[in-house]
Amino acid sequence: MTAIWQMSAAAITAAVRDGHLTAREVVTSCLERVHRIDPGLNAMVGERADVALAEAASIDERRQRGQTLGPLAGVPIAWKDNLVLEGELATAGSRMLEGFRSPYSATVLARLQRAGAILIGRTNMDEFGMGSSTETSAYGPTRNPFGRDLVPGGSSGGSAVAVAADFCPLALGSDTGGSVRQPAAMCGVSGLKPTYGLVSRYGLIAYASSLDCVGALARTAEDLALWLDAVAGADAADPTTVQAQGPVATHVAQRRDLAGLRIGLPQELNGPGLDAEVAAAVQRAVADLRELGAQVVECTLPAVAHAVPTYYLLATAEASSNLARYDGVRYGLRRDTVSRCEAMMMQSRSAGFGDEVQLRILLGTFALSFGYHDQYYGQATRARALLCSEFARAFASCDLLLSPTSPVPAFPIGSRIDDPLAMYLCDVMTVPPSLAGLPALSQPCGFTADGRPVGMQWVAPALREDLLLQVAHVFQAHTDHHLRRPLP
Amino acid sequence: MVQNLADLARLHLPVERQDALLQRLQRIVLAFDALRQLPTEQAPANPPSLPPLRLRPDVAEPPLPIAQVLANTRHHAAAAFVVPRVVDA
Repeated sequence: MTAIWQMSAAAITAAVRDGHLTAREVVTSCLERVHRIDPGLNAMVGERADVALAEAASIDERRQRGQTLGPLAGVPIAWKDNLVLEGELATAGSRMLEGFRSPYSATVLARLQRAGAILIGRTNMDEFGMGSSTETSAYGPTRNPFGRDLVPGGSSGGSAVAVAADFCPLALGSDTGGSVRQPAAMCGVSGLKPTYGLVSRYGLIAYASSLDCVGALARTAEDLALWLDAVAGADAADPTTVQAQGPVATHVAQRRDLAGLRIGLPQELNGPGLDAEVAAAVQRAVADLRELGAQVVECTLPAVAHAVPTYYLLATAEASSNLARYDGVRYGLRRDTVSRCEAMMMQSRSAGFGDEVQLRILLGTFALSFGYHDQYYGQATRARALLCSEFARAFASCDLLLSPTSPVPAFPIGSRIDDPLAMYLCDVMTVPPSLAGLPALSQPCGFTADGRPVGMQWVAPALREDLLLQVAHVFQAHTDHHLRRPLP
Repeated sequence: MVQNLADLARLHLPVERQDALLQRLQRIVLAFDALRQLPTEQAPANPPSLPPLRLRPDVAEPPLPIAQVLANTRHHAAAAFVVPRVVDA
């Protein structure tokens, strides 16, 4: 028999609606699971148990009174510590924001609450989203449930672990250069980064504003579609948002096979430099896709060779500007040991930001500095535009693009943290669609011989999340990689 | 160089940390240098998949309640944030 904490969001909300389960039973089951398992994983950095249980009780009362319930009624959801919720702590995994309580809520969290979801707690993350392993958090590293000496990926590692360890069926992340997809791949769950602008960034603590996207992690494509329908669409508080194209959840299960679908394999993302077991798992998945009727063809995206430097120069330049607001004056950590304002700000920033954040602020400051601006930031902007053109050309002959999500499976904690370049190269597959603002989804496609999950990444044209989710659903319907659970 | 960047970025870097940071920065910049050789004459001015940038209407919105905003710092007096001295008396 399936335990409550093992149920999908779709199954939970159907059971709550039908009266087979109460929302309170669901939340209680998930919180008990968190309390039992999380001390060994460090995925959660805060919970709102009492409030969540009260909100669940309110949903149960609404049902008893015969009132309409939202599409996510009773579904427990964890959110990344860089999304703000009114009255709750939000630290972005940083000492810089210790003790900060938000006076307002992120649009995405407010929309989830309106849909009946129960927000149960905040998840661990790399500080300000700057990392690929969830090791740079001020709360300490999160551990991978598939091997506690392994990283969960990052920066949304806490959210990936929350889903993989069955704390909740859905968790929110943010994805600037792969921070939802890469931890999803390393933890054996699915992760969706929507088209830039489809989900409001209002209330997301900014890292790199032209790249930041709110995304989600779940075990099934169906649950990701439910999430997207609840949160997508224009928001007056975020002028970069666009209108949603219509609901996707009702169409996810429409496709039975992949007949007529043209899948492109970019040579630059499926060649040398890949871990052999990752390459083999993706090749087996490609064979499955062919059996399902897809036409698989090679294509090329030459500018991908420059995607990592392009991404890191643009992202750090934007970060150096975005993080200038942290000065110890209005909120967060303040060093009061000096008597001058400027010195107080410098001391506070140096004490509050961790090493990786300081390194990226310096790199971004360099990329924008007089004499270097055009050679680095300007050139990266032009390289980004080239990459966008190449994606457009590829989609003229392919419906979707496919690659591994990460060139390597989960690696041991501590093995790359002192080598920033090695860490940055973990993002080589995920940064290209981020730079182009395209939607991308990672889903499990196999395991290494020692049991580490491998993920593959789908990329679609802008606003074609419907296609991404349909194809992911078909693959899940014919395989069982997404069903393997690391913990009893 | 690191000290200059740190000043621009308002970071206080103790001397003993500067060498290590400089080495890391130099290694990253060197690795990223190949990007400068990428021919970009064909790069479009308006990339096809990125949405056009729009500015939010320049309209004043109701502010957050002052008490709620000040609650995030111990350093306030009346309705203002308090900072150390900025200019000499």
